Amino acid sequence: MSFGKFFSRGRKEQQVTERMADHIDLLCEACAIFHQCLVSEDRRLARKVPDMEREADVIRREIVSTIYAGAFLPYLRPDLCRFVSLVDEVFDLLQETANIFVYRTVPESLKGECIRVALLNLRMCELLRITYGAMLEGADLKEKKLGLRIYEKKIDDIKYGLLRDMMEIEVDNFWQGRLLGEFIDNLTGISDKIEDASDHLDVLNVSMR
Amino acid sequence: MWKIGSGIFLGWTLGANDSANIFGTGVTTGTIRYRTAIWLTALFVMAGAVVEGPKCMQTLGELSRLIPLEAFCVALAAGVTMAVLTVLALPASASQAIVGAILGAGVLAGTADFSRLYRIVACWVFTPICALALGYLLYRGLAWMLDRTVRRLTYRNFIYLGGILVAGCYGAYSLGSNNVANVTGVYVGAGLLSARTAAVIGGLSIALGALTYSRRVMMTVGKGIVPLDPFSALVVVLAQAMTLHLFTQVGVPVSSSQAVVGAVVGVGLMGDVRTISVRMLLKIAMGWIGTPLSAGLMAVALILGVDAAAPLWGQHVGPLLERLGITEAIFVAVQFYGGWLRSVMDALGW
Repeated sequence: MSFGKFFSRGRKEQQVTERMADHIDLLCEACAIFHQCLVSEDRRLARKVPDMEREADVIRREIVSTIYAGAFLPYLRPDLCRFVSLVDEVFDLLQETANIFVYRTVPESLKGECIRVALLNLRMCELLRITYGAMLEGADLKEKKLGLRIYEKKIDDIKYGLLRDMMEIEVDNFWQGRLLGEFIDNLTGISDKIEDASDHLDVLNVSMR
Repeated sequence: MWKIGSGIFLGWTLGANDSANIFGTGVTTGTIRYRTAIWLTALFVMAGAVVEGPKCMQTLGELSRLIPLEAFCVALAAGVTMAVLTVLALPASASQAIVGAILGAGVLAGTADFSRLYRIVACWVFTPICALALGYLLYRGLAWMLDRTVRRLTYRNFIYLGGILVAGCYGAYSLGSNNVANVTGVYVGAGLLSARTAAVIGGLSIALGALTYSRRVMMTVGKGIVPLDPFSALVVVLAQAMTLHLFTQVGVPVSSSQAVVGAVVGVGLMGDVRTISVRMLLKIAMGWIGTPLSAGLMAVALILGVDAAAPLWGQHVGPLLERLGITEAIFVAVQFYGGWLRSVMDALGW
């Protein structure tokens, strides 16, 4: 550490925390757009998600390079980077789901439940944003984590119903079936990734106590 | 004046070894650059030695009445014992080595005063205990205070960063003030140096050790305690510094490494009492007996050896050194630097 860094009074740290908040905000926006495109079946909206994923990648790289340029104590850096990459994994999964949606129409019998899952994913992202803010303030994260776990449980319950209904759908060929299976898997897997990210916020919170 | 050479060697080994206890964690985790750490250590060790160093010198001088040649052998014996024990990976403390060496020389000369030893041994025993208690109390107190005042992540990060720097500087200051007596205290008792000059020379030699050869030890020690979180690392350094500073006021040089071990255990008590290892306690207790005993025997052997070689020395080596005038030149330079430092301190009102 140089004295310059000490006397900068955490400007870099401030920059990192703000960009991390932007990263999660962008994820919330992408989830909202994806939910919207499922409701309206507007495939042009789904094409916006990969663009947002690329924007998120730029933010992730910026955060990681600022962290390794000297922001935060070295002890904390790997955990911060891990959290950012977990949020990025959510983006990747959302992008894959959106890409499949562009080429594969969701059958009417599954559409309602898929919209429910997309909405729950959006709520989880919003709660992740709130949890992140609370972590920055050093507040207790127990209630927020419980909320996220409840959302995740709900999605898991829906997932088993979706799989049961999916098996009764007739498909024209192998690829149609495979794409539908992947779509359901990805859509319901987003919540698991969000939960992993929130667990890591708890690790960060505890390690600075 | 060549007789102070062994003290400078002892100071150099002490600086190379013990500066790792101060900024070791900070350097190995990348919180502080190695260069910044060693310069801060050197600066504050020097300040501690000059400002409060003479406080511990009297205690060592009272143990035995030594002549200058014996003082040379005593410092050399302590230095060699430290080096040998370090190589054998056994716990070595300069404070315990120098006391053992002084008593060894004193026994040989018939001037050893064992009545002073009780106070010194009591301080050795209380060093890890005091550091343990301070580590525990500081952890509880500071954690309580921080939880109520500084909760934000970025502010905490700043507090820990600043805390590690400030605690490290204080640790270096305490090391200089407490351990400089180990390095050049014997020369004060032998009437070779004044307390102030001894503090300057001792401080310089410790600083030199930190500046030239502390990297390897720092990496080893630092990596050994890396699992500590920043707050625990900060508390450990602070508790060690406070312990050393406390014993400086008592006037007894103590082991900084044992203070660190005590502080780590104190911090560990917050989580799990099983952090106390019986093996580690035995190692510390073994150091209280083994180190002074080995240094005492080494001092006796050196003095007997020097006595046997005295005629040769008196006829050839001594006059040659006198003719070359090298040691005088070093002494004059040190006296000049000490005088300059004193005038700066006077100007600053210290």
